[in-house]
Amino acid sequence: MLAAFMVGIDVGGTNTDAVLLRGAEVEALIKVPTDPSDLLGSTTLALHKVLEHYKEAKPVKLHLSTTLSTNAIVEGRGSPTQVVTVPGPGVNLKSLDFPFTLVELDGYIDHRGREISPLQLEQVSRLRNVLGESGEALAIVGKFSQRNPAHEQSLKEEIAKWHKGIITLGHRLSGRANFPRRIVTAYLNSSIARQQLEFLRVWQKVQGSAIGEILILKADGGTMTLEDSAERPIESILSGPAASIMGVKALAQCAEANFLIVDIGGTTTDLAAVVDGEVLFERDGATISGYKTLVPAVLARSTGLGGDSRIRYEAGTGIVIGPERAGTPVCLGGEHLTPTDAAAALGLASVGSQEAARQAWRDWGESLGLSGEKLASEVFQAFVNQLRRLVEDFYTELESMPLYTIREVLDPPRLRPAAVVGLGAPAPVFIPALANNMGLPWEVLPFASGANAIGAAAARATVGVTLQADTQLGKVTIPEMGYQGDLHRPLFFDLGKARSLAEEKTREYAESLGYDASGEVYIVEEESFQMVRGFRTVGQTHMVRTQLRPEVCRVRGEDG
Amino acid sequence: MTEVGLVFFPAFDWAISPDHPERQERLLYTRDQIQEEGLFDHPSIREYRPRLAEDYEILRTHVVLPSLEQTVTESHRIAAGGTIAASDLVLDGRAQRAFALLRPPGHHANRIVHGSRGFCLLNNEAIMVDHLRSRLGPELKVAIVDTDAHHGDGTQDIFYNDPGVLHISLHQDGRTLYPGTGFITERGGPGAYGQTVNIPLPPGTGDEGMLTAMERVVLPILRDWQPDYIINAAGQDNHFSDPITNMGFSAQGYAQLTEMLKPDIVVLEGGYSIESALPYINVGLLLALAGLDYSKVQEPQARLEPQPKTITNQVAAICDEIIELWGRRLEADLGEIFGEADFFERRRQIYYDTDNIYENQQEHIRLCQDCPGWRVIFTHSNRVRQVTAVVMLPWQPCPGCREEAKEQHRQLLGDEQFGQVIWQDPAKVLPALES
Repeated sequence: MLAAFMVGIDVGGTNTDAVLLRGAEVEALIKVPTDPSDLLGSTTLALHKVLEHYKEAKPVKLHLSTTLSTNAIVEGRGSPTQVVTVPGPGVNLKSLDFPFTLVELDGYIDHRGREISPLQLEQVSRLRNVLGESGEALAIVGKFSQRNPAHEQSLKEEIAKWHKGIITLGHRLSGRANFPRRIVTAYLNSSIARQQLEFLRVWQKVQGSAIGEILILKADGGTMTLEDSAERPIESILSGPAASIMGVKALAQCAEANFLIVDIGGTTTDLAAVVDGEVLFERDGATISGYKTLVPAVLARSTGLGGDSRIRYEAGTGIVIGPERAGTPVCLGGEHLTPTDAAAALGLASVGSQEAARQAWRDWGESLGLSGEKLASEVFQAFVNQLRRLVEDFYTELESMPLYTIREVLDPPRLRPAAVVGLGAPAPVFIPALANNMGLPWEVLPFASGANAIGAAAARATVGVTLQADTQLGKVTIPEMGYQGDLHRPLFFDLGKARSLAEEKTREYAESLGYDASGEVYIVEEESFQMVRGFRTVGQTHMVRTQLRPEVCRVRGEDG
Repeated sequence: MTEVGLVFFPAFDWAISPDHPERQERLLYTRDQIQEEGLFDHPSIREYRPRLAEDYEILRTHVVLPSLEQTVTESHRIAAGGTIAASDLVLDGRAQRAFALLRPPGHHANRIVHGSRGFCLLNNEAIMVDHLRSRLGPELKVAIVDTDAHHGDGTQDIFYNDPGVLHISLHQDGRTLYPGTGFITERGGPGAYGQTVNIPLPPGTGDEGMLTAMERVVLPILRDWQPDYIINAAGQDNHFSDPITNMGFSAQGYAQLTEMLKPDIVVLEGGYSIESALPYINVGLLLALAGLDYSKVQEPQARLEPQPKTITNQVAAICDEIIELWGRRLEADLGEIFGEADFFERRRQIYYDTDNIYENQQEHIRLCQDCPGWRVIFTHSNRVRQVTAVVMLPWQPCPGCREEAKEQHRQLLGDEQFGQVIWQDPAKVLPALES
């Protein structure tokens, strides 16, 4: 039997990349320019183009990484969205300067998920007048709703009686503690939900006819169904960097536990880190356009340094590259010299006209009293040095993550890389020089400029839950599932039992969403404390955060 | 908006014993609350890692018996080192203010350490104050305002003859609570008389009494003394819900106190109402430190009744007495208080409740016109039975005292009755000399 065909598409800011895979083989890899005003058009064009020569291929799956949600947020094109909060006492929400208005209701749930004061029914019934019936999108968020979602749930029940639009509940988006981020995440989710619904309708028509199933790439490098993406569109933001990192997982040969990922593009370079074989994630969640969210996301730091960056010569400082883009390199017919021209002139890359690049360096060098070759090589070295400093800053930032146990302070997690893995069109030129500067072995991915699309195709569904159990109260909560239950024999519910229950619930949740739940469920994070009151142990509190980890599909690189 | 550097170290894997108030769980709910309020990633608050205190940083302040290795654990080194790290944030300009929100606490640890007392082994803020002086010079003036419900007796002991430090402790009256000291009459040694200021408050004192004492005693004294740095030893057991004290302070009161005091560096001390008080006090304290709106911070239980009138009157009378003593401190007749001999002698028995140790101490302070005077301390306990002799110099000794102290040290070294003879010269302790 022939291996199944599948397509991966990554819609980027400049280009849309598409790959057709047959099993682990790359059958076609194409690139079309992205039309920012018509993302759907760019996507379908890429899809048709990658399938052009394989008329017989009816792919079973399309994995789509799109900037649709990201752009809607960055450009402020979300729907008008109202936010209802139950803040309880604490930080004054009005002092936090949210760029949207909030309704604050009475009611108070504490850190253990206990209801200290209930919702006020008359306030809830007045909401209809306060909000008006025209509102098309709504978010409901309570403080500590991840420990007890009851207030959010009963508010939704009341509001849904008359509100016909989209309603997002804070606790369903994340089990992490951070009320302001939960508010922002729920708000953004509701604000882009209508657009995602339109997107869903378009692709649902394609799904089942031209393509078996369509899955959307998430910021954590996993996939979700179209239906799921309509519920939680916010998870599809920033899938581009995630696609590249999945590309590394699919293609890299590197066997080191720790390595650095450098994705060099024309305008920017993204850095990410693999530690103990896993890609590092943002501690709380993604930040997008100044909004701090709870969206699980790979930790990637982007910086304005790329093959097409502008180069300036400043008296005193010397050569400064970026952060803005110069445009097309001279060797490709552009007007401004770029790092790519330095590589071309030095014979390190065969891009466009080497002679045009050399001439331009000579011209500029003359005005500075340098030979063209000298100037080009100084620019090349300056690029590598700037990149090296960014890498250092990146690891310094990672190493400043707080530590809360004596064990960790005495033996802090080792994060530094043992190798460099590069991707992106300029990677073959700059990665060896960077790695050499760091004294590390290196690797540049095959298909370096389409690894993002391959990554999208290779990605698999990810599902994770946060289980919080309190044996004194006899309660267990899994906010992502909206689940709250009683512990049958709380005294015997130890961390081991919490782990098994979390695993079982993770699979149950994955199945309910229509995912393959057979992969390994691993524990991302766990905590367990004895609760002592008056010199007597009265219970335990356990937190277990899980992730279903299916193996990323491996893709074969070119054999030279 | 003020930039606050936060060194948060809850020591989630350390306890004095499983059911002890100083246990893993102590700062769990505080962590949950700060996290849920979004303060760890608030633009004006930045979190930093603690570090381990080095031997020389500890031994500049303490004498640890029988030895550092046998007495100090890693948790103590991280709490002390984390406090130093917090102060460095301010000194290096990485933050305008810093908060060392960490455990175990330190303010009951005396200069001589035979073990733990009042849950404390190393005095985090004293070690930090000596670190400040080692960086900025011995002339530095540092004020410590200890707002823990228990008298800051360890810190008082360390600095009671140190003219570079003003130590003000507000606490529940020592007749009603551990450690049973901290009376108005304890005013400091011959070299720093009047710079130990105790404000014992009657049980039941609430926000009104605490803030009155701040307004009428603490702030005027600070204005008068003009310290370079203000440290707050921020015990949180004045809270009305604390299980081991009898005070009536609230989270709002704490935040207001912080706003009034404007401390440069805050160090957590005690506070064992881990669910009902600490999460709210720490959120209020952080907001107040950062100059943010804390008006909506409130603990779940209703507050106690307003402070009774009788307490208000008592607090007012105590404040009057202390401020009067402060005003006349320079007129005091030191000859009458400390005697006319060459040395002032003090004998004490010190009980270490946490480790059940009894220490006997005999101290001789050289009464000197030119400096605070060198000291010799003889100490032994049921843990370290053989007598240890410690010869100590102040931060700025006069040449005469330095010579006398050296001679004394030389003589003691030749005396076989002593288990150890220790020399402590804080201004000369440098990392390079340690090995």
